[in-house]
Amino acid sequence: MTDPNAIKNNPFKELGEIPEKKYSDGYIVDSTYIPVRDGVKIAATICLPKGLSPDSKIPAVITQTRYWRAMELRIPFRWILDSMATNAPNPEVVTSRGYALIYTDVRGCGASFGSRITPFSEDEVKDGYDITDWIIKQPWSDGNVVSKGISYTGTTAELFARNNHQAIKAVIPGHGFWDPYTDVAFPGGCFDNAFIQLWSFLGKNLDLNNPRVFRQIRPEAWLLTKGVKPVKSDKDLKFFHEALGQHDANMYVYEHTLTENFRDDQILDGSSFDDFSIFDRKDEIERSNVPVLAWCSWLDSGYCDAIIHRFMNLSNPQIAILGDWTHGAVEPANQFFPSRTSVTPTPKDKVNAWMNFFDKCIYSGGIQGQVIYYYTLVEEQWKKSNVWPPIGHDYQKWYFSEKFTLARKKPENDIGEDIYKINFRATTGRNNRWWALLGLPITYENRAKVDEKLLCYTSQSFEEDTEITGQIILCLYLASTHEDGAVFAYFEDIDEEGNITYITDGQFRLIHRKVLSKEPPYKILIPYHSYKKEDSAPLIPGEITEVKFGFHVTSVLIKKGHKIKIAIAGADKDTFLRYPSEGKPTITISRNSVNSSYLDIPIIKKEKN
Amino acid sequence: MEEIIPSLKGMLQEAIDITVNASNLTILMTIKKDIEGIVADSEEIVVMLKMYGGLREEIPMEIDVDNATQIITLKFQKEDDFNKIEKVLETLFDNAVDLLVQTMDGDFNCIRDIPNIDD
Repeated sequence: MTDPNAIKNNPFKELGEIPEKKYSDGYIVDSTYIPVRDGVKIAATICLPKGLSPDSKIPAVITQTRYWRAMELRIPFRWILDSMATNAPNPEVVTSRGYALIYTDVRGCGASFGSRITPFSEDEVKDGYDITDWIIKQPWSDGNVVSKGISYTGTTAELFARNNHQAIKAVIPGHGFWDPYTDVAFPGGCFDNAFIQLWSFLGKNLDLNNPRVFRQIRPEAWLLTKGVKPVKSDKDLKFFHEALGQHDANMYVYEHTLTENFRDDQILDGSSFDDFSIFDRKDEIERSNVPVLAWCSWLDSGYCDAIIHRFMNLSNPQIAILGDWTHGAVEPANQFFPSRTSVTPTPKDKVNAWMNFFDKCIYSGGIQGQVIYYYTLVEEQWKKSNVWPPIGHDYQKWYFSEKFTLARKKPENDIGEDIYKINFRATTGRNNRWWALLGLPITYENRAKVDEKLLCYTSQSFEEDTEITGQIILCLYLASTHEDGAVFAYFEDIDEEGNITYITDGQFRLIHRKVLSKEPPYKILIPYHSYKKEDSAPLIPGEITEVKFGFHVTSVLIKKGHKIKIAIAGADKDTFLRYPSEGKPTITISRNSVNSSYLDIPIIKKEKN
Repeated sequence: MEEIIPSLKGMLQEAIDITVNASNLTILMTIKKDIEGIVADSEEIVVMLKMYGGLREEIPMEIDVDNATQIITLKFQKEDDFNKIEKVLETLFDNAVDLLVQTMDGDFNCIRDIPNIDD
């Protein structure tokens, strides 16, 4: 993770020092069912500081999960750990800071009753309101409730604000999406087959309380747990089995998306991906004006873009953080320092920083305005800005040129093209930014070997250090032998020794290539493609067409003497669906004075002294 | 969770007393920490031996769990069976933690030989 010496602008430092513990004797755990408006019973586990006097009133942190709120551990681990030891946020830290911690299984999941047709459904969001009502009626409650989470629970935390309940004072969505179509399910219109399939498979087995599923996906979880923890008072497990029975009616995204392609396709109960997005529910979150602390990392799926889009579009008081760690910050993920093993700050220090944010929002009048902290790779420094893109942002064009080079000068020749037969064995493996959503490590190693299968263009050595921050835009003038296809493009750094390091990438399904001039549903800094059926069109084989799309956001320093490289593929076989489903297209990329393919690279101009 | 991993082996050794009595082919496991609910059921003991202890065969044994005293008694008819389980228990807790650490580091192969656990 981040260089521990990167102190300046470090958001974890700026959130304040860790105060003395309010409670230091540990915590007590209880669990119960909370009935909500339609009679569905939500399983909840409650952790309270040990030693809380009967007249003490404290705020509550709530985390609403679809991945089991508490686990029944296997022996011998059950003999030494309590059932909450594996949970995040760490109950020890949260309760020591003078907060109650409430974990719930969302309806249709874990030990809760009900069923789920879509994730993040309207009912699921409204349950947050009813649970808040229940919390503030508890004898220990001071009437303040905040929410935090990572990934699914990050999104439930953000949607919690949408309830506009007066008790809700702040939310921390960690590693959550903004636009589930482009951030996770169909980045660039390409179906993330691997993750959606595994996520649906995992969800289904969790909802049926089948821990065997973990053996293949998260073996450490399989070694630790034998299932979801029933509610304490449910001694004969009558409610537990009744709740599990109701989960049989659940539906899962994968089986309803495999045959769909477009943003406006209906999945599940007639909903589209936009219906459970954040951007589509933005107005209600803004009405709450609840302060938001959103955090994520450069290499986590398209969720890095979610941070930027939330920052640019959501008017709530906001702190945004983009760093160099894995999904949920379990491990470091800095491709320039692959040997780093320790996580800075530690998970405990991180939770303490989040609690400082909650303290500010509950006890000190909240936060004002908006600030984004981002970590620049290679430079290994935190930066902070009140606007995105940051001040000094500009684009620098790099043209595809002869002999597989990238040049600043536009080609002058009337002819010039490169032909590439799509290699459908090309892959970024299973430790890439998309598989990362399953909690796996992120590594992009051996790019030299991988690039041998791809069409590559390399620049001359840079003459000065250059910061690239933002979203690269790739514009290709391309012809194909087929009506359908995709481009997977990797942006890389080459050092003086020839070591090639992945920086970021972009993918794009060619049928979505129409760039729309109308206003997108939210502000973006890249060409707007609707990904709707009405705007799609097959390629005309042999005809040159413009394909222009954005990469996933990054911040990196290209050092003097280093080169940049763009590597183009037509497939990423272990992650995305194949386009077209059959056949072997050959693409031709033009690089001449008429059709000049190029990269627009977002650089940060240095301040002149 | 990651933060407590380094101390798990010590916690297990401290929390569980194993007493072996070769004269009556009995092994006692005493769980010292107060456990909420049941200490274990018989099936869980067998799963534990297979999952973390490397046990790959069915060993006839009588398993008695006393939830009040938190003592688990394993009683054997044959000395050979008794010896096998005694040996498994010698390294079981360390193995459990090692497997956990290996899988957390992304090594999926280390669990390849564990048989199907039907729970």
